[in-house]
Amino acid sequence: MTKKYVMLADATRCINCKACVIACRAEWGTPLGHSRDWVREVEMEGPGGMPDLMLLPGRCQHCDDAPCVESCPSGAAYQREDGVVLVDHELCSGCELCVPACPYDARFLNPETGTVSKCTFCQPRIDAGQPPACVGTCVGRALVFGDANDPASEVSRLLQEKEWLRLTSDGVNVGPNHYYHTGGRPLPPEALPKPTTPHVQGRLLEEVVNPLAGAGLLGMAGVFVAAGMKKLLDRRSEVQRQEGGHHD
Amino acid sequence: MSKTTDPSRRRFLGGAGLLAVGGYPARALARVKAPHAAEMLGPSREVFSFCDMCYWRCGLKIRVRDGRAVKIEGNPEHPNNRGVVCAKGNAGLMAAYDPDRLKFPLLRMGERGAGKWKRISWDEAYDRIAAAFLKAKEQYGPETLAMIGHGTWEKPYHRLAHAFGTPNTTSPVFGLCCGPRDVANQLVAGRPLGGNETLDLENCRYFLMMGRNITESLHNGETLGWVEAVAKGAQVVYVDPRYTITASKAKEWLPIRPLTDHAFLLALIRVMIEERLYDTEFVAAYTLGLEELERRVARYTPEWAEEECGIAAKDIRRIARELAAHAPAALVYSPRRLTRTSNDLGTGLAISILNTLLGVWDREGGIFSPLSFPVPEPDLPPFPHADAPRADGAGVEGVWPLANAQYGLTNQMWSAIAEQKPYPIKLLLTAGGNGFMNSTDFDAIRRAIGQLDFFVAADIAPNEMNQYADILLPEASYLERYDDLQTGGAKEGFVAVRMPAMKPLHDTRDAWTICKQLAGRLGLGAWFPHASAAELIDERLKKAGLSLAELETKGIVKKPADPARNFPREHGLPSVFPTPSGKVELVPSRLKALGMDDALDYLPQVRPQDGEFHFTFGRVGFHTHARTQNNPWLADLMGENELWIHPDAASRQGIRDGDRVEVADRNSRKETLRAKVTRRIRPDTVFMVHGFGHFDPRMRTAHGKGAADANLASRDRDGHLGTVAMGRSLVRVRKL
Repeated sequence: MTKKYVMLADATRCINCKACVIACRAEWGTPLGHSRDWVREVEMEGPGGMPDLMLLPGRCQHCDDAPCVESCPSGAAYQREDGVVLVDHELCSGCELCVPACPYDARFLNPETGTVSKCTFCQPRIDAGQPPACVGTCVGRALVFGDANDPASEVSRLLQEKEWLRLTSDGVNVGPNHYYHTGGRPLPPEALPKPTTPHVQGRLLEEVVNPLAGAGLLGMAGVFVAAGMKKLLDRRSEVQRQEGGHHD
Repeated sequence: MSKTTDPSRRRFLGGAGLLAVGGYPARALARVKAPHAAEMLGPSREVFSFCDMCYWRCGLKIRVRDGRAVKIEGNPEHPNNRGVVCAKGNAGLMAAYDPDRLKFPLLRMGERGAGKWKRISWDEAYDRIAAAFLKAKEQYGPETLAMIGHGTWEKPYHRLAHAFGTPNTTSPVFGLCCGPRDVANQLVAGRPLGGNETLDLENCRYFLMMGRNITESLHNGETLGWVEAVAKGAQVVYVDPRYTITASKAKEWLPIRPLTDHAFLLALIRVMIEERLYDTEFVAAYTLGLEELERRVARYTPEWAEEECGIAAKDIRRIARELAAHAPAALVYSPRRLTRTSNDLGTGLAISILNTLLGVWDREGGIFSPLSFPVPEPDLPPFPHADAPRADGAGVEGVWPLANAQYGLTNQMWSAIAEQKPYPIKLLLTAGGNGFMNSTDFDAIRRAIGQLDFFVAADIAPNEMNQYADILLPEASYLERYDDLQTGGAKEGFVAVRMPAMKPLHDTRDAWTICKQLAGRLGLGAWFPHASAAELIDERLKKAGLSLAELETKGIVKKPADPARNFPREHGLPSVFPTPSGKVELVPSRLKALGMDDALDYLPQVRPQDGEFHFTFGRVGFHTHARTQNNPWLADLMGENELWIHPDAASRQGIRDGDRVEVADRNSRKETLRAKVTRRIRPDTVFMVHGFGHFDPRMRTAHGKGAADANLASRDRDGHLGTVAMGRSLVRVRKL
């Protein structure tokens, strides 16, 4: 049976110790200033004006309808049958169209490789039978990874036993495969996906311009010129978006 | 470590890059022709080790590729971490690859601390050290040497110093950290509960956390055990002036007035006795002194405590009852660093007494008896008898008799050197550590260094203290060396090995080699008979029926947990309490004999005047003490500390979030940093994360970032132990 990989994050067990962040950096050599994963610490006001915290570990949500895949003009962004969304670095042009398309800010241009980088669910590790680096090192065992199609897996059991939320909103639901247990508390608005206007632009590229790709050199050039122009246009809005960046 | 291919083909969109578009048809075809090539893990091997990024010592498997350590993973077999590794442990790679490391022996050229050095050979370094040491020994006697260590590798330096003939070896673990807690448990129960805490966390159902910020002052196995218990529904009452991540996991946060924990605990004891909530069977069979204790705590009513500590009397009564209802699966959880007030011993005693009243000793969900894995030490000649008493007075009758004489009182040692009392100390040997940032008295340390004839420092990286050395010896990091064995006492007994994951990257040597070679120059070779650390541990292991070769294939060998020995009273077996009376002493006899039983009574602490704040500091989960601020990966998570201040207090001073502020204590010591305005702290208290404000320019990442809490924390002392009362500073905050 085809696997269906999912990540479960139990916010009640997360202690924001950032072990996941450093394990990921160590495993994949992510340059400083960027990260494939993060822990979001949301400060809230609890009952009686008391402080309250929610700790939400995050990374690429490996969405069923991954907008990054749709927006990628070169075909570098793709999804495997098991649900893992990957970047083919041989194909990635570094055009960054996928970056604003992601509602979770999970993608970034790696300055060392010139290609787009993101969480791969540690594809080389899981293909070798190891847990993702973040899961293996998680001090509170808040992260659990596995095959939701295997009824005997830990994730299947936990999905049954506990209440799980996904980072979706009325406007954005692209089928994330990353689940959150918050102990019955609602997800804070700060944690919800941002509306991705750029995604609509990416869609235009995908649906209007991409079909030209089959027409050979000229079409490809067209795609990339359009992509380059879009990249320039996007820069201004990107600065604004980065103010809300959570890669801390 | 990057896995992607040739970066030179990238960036075709930039400028003339568009001309490169011609290269893409093949890729367009590839797109059509998926599947894409999957990335594979490269070939590697694994070596076993235990961590040195903090003092908990988790078991590690280090992945090695092409002769270099590339990834640190946890060893699932190791009881200290059960396979998980924190951010600090994961960033251990950068302790080795830190570009700022000490790379070869250095001789000071300019003034002490001026930063002018000359590279010298190891031989020249040893010759100079030996000449200076022998000269001072001749002139002042062997006790003129003080050795201050901090870390796994301090062990051979202790041996070298004792062979030299000095009693003056010290480490911050006692006087600056856990001393009061350990002494209190030793006095009450004869069981110090030091080192790796022997608490049955997973099965505990009720935690009263006395400022024990277990999720941020983080030790993997301990934190994981606690998280497991909380996930299973254990209740947590968290007592701390600050709302930490631990508080966010608690049912209840009690923002206690700083320095008044003892008042709260005394009232709990009173309620527990008054309402007969204690484990009557255990108390009758195993303890002495209940009647006297009852008399002594009679005046500490919950109403009195409410006035003192700010926790409502009704909550104190309720918590006492809740603790009792969950006992023996209930714990009053001591802070690990209990160096805050001028009567920390009293706080530690009260915690130990409460746990005793709850009857948690040797019970599931309470305190367990650890197993050990005895591995004999090598046979060495006896150390020469030191005629002089310890200069810091630790363990010395009439000075600080209760202080631990193995680790001493590091703060008192610095003062003794600064004052040259009770006798001249002219030689200083340091092994790791950073007197400036781990103590609380920059001035005493500067004066002490000024008194020295010779200061030799060994470390892997630069810091404020070792920049004053006359000779600086660069050590191999823990990824580049063997070390002595780790023998542990958890529910399982174990022995674990540290193997080198790679050859030293620089002209560095491990502590055992350095001490052996120095000992040779000093005529003390008899105390270092082994050619190497590997030979030493092989000999030790063979005496225990093992070998280094065997341990290198397993990483750890364990004696399985034995419930009957871990929890004898769950199995109809007696508990053992090695006190003078053989009972748990609610009023410790040794304290009475020393005339120090006033430690049981409440000693009022300082309070801020108008415009002043209590000064507090503490940890985050991704920095260790003052050791990791220069680690590039950890600095990326937190590069500088901030001053936490409550919005009400901030608005009175016109301070907004992110403003630069100056913090000054009553002695006009000052630090500056940015303000973090947050409801997560009491209005009368400010807080900063420990370990920032480095002023050694060789630390290129950390230099000048944030503020040094060590330059603001109090220099007062606990009156019974001589440990530092760091929490007694009162500060003013001013917007810059």
